[in-house]
Amino acid sequence: MKTHFLFPYWCRYLGWALILLHVPISMFGLAHGMVNIMDNGPTSTGLFTGVHLFFICTSLVMVSGLFLVAFAKEKVEDEQIWHLRLDSLRWAIYINYLILIISLVFIEDVGHMLELNLWVPLLFFIIRFRWVIFRLNSSFSKEEGHEK
Amino acid sequence: MKNNIRVERAIKNITQADLAEAVSVSRQTINTIESNKYVPSTVLALKIARVFGKPLEEVFILEEGD
Repeated sequence: MKTHFLFPYWCRYLGWALILLHVPISMFGLAHGMVNIMDNGPTSTGLFTGVHLFFICTSLVMVSGLFLVAFAKEKVEDEQIWHLRLDSLRWAIYINYLILIISLVFIEDVGHMLELNLWVPLLFFIIRFRWVIFRLNSSFSKEEGHEK
Repeated sequence: MKNNIRVERAIKNITQADLAEAVSVSRQTINTIESNKYVPSTVLALKIARVFGKPLEEVFILEEGD
């Protein structure tokens, strides 16, 4: 099956590496007091100041990591995987908008909402997609066990 | 939609893995199609029917309510 707009399989590992890399960078920022995102939100400071650059480093690294993990090909990327992928993406969009609508009503802090919007769809997509693949594989190995 | 893939495989004496390789999908996909958990696309259904050398309707059968 021809698959368009997916990264090669190895990009998944690069993605996880980026997500892991984001942790020490955040720790470093926390230790040096560069994180005021929790207090003011990322949009409250000027462009290319220390805090802004730090925000770009951490958020960009994490989101690129999540993006690569989410959209890297599976070992065998066939039409069923494609189907599961689209289904998970649909659920991720539902959840994202549900959270967005709830936070629009109850939360005034727009900065935090943007931050949330940045990673919720990707994270939920990855969790849902891995979960259905895990279920597919476990039911397969169970049936294989029965046949033997 | 039902299918006779399991029977056809037995007649042709090929495994799920052989069939999966012949139509370029994973073994899991053949397994889920056989157990009616996944409905294949027209292209994949035609490819499977071609492996068995039979018309599509002999391998895949519409059910009441489809």
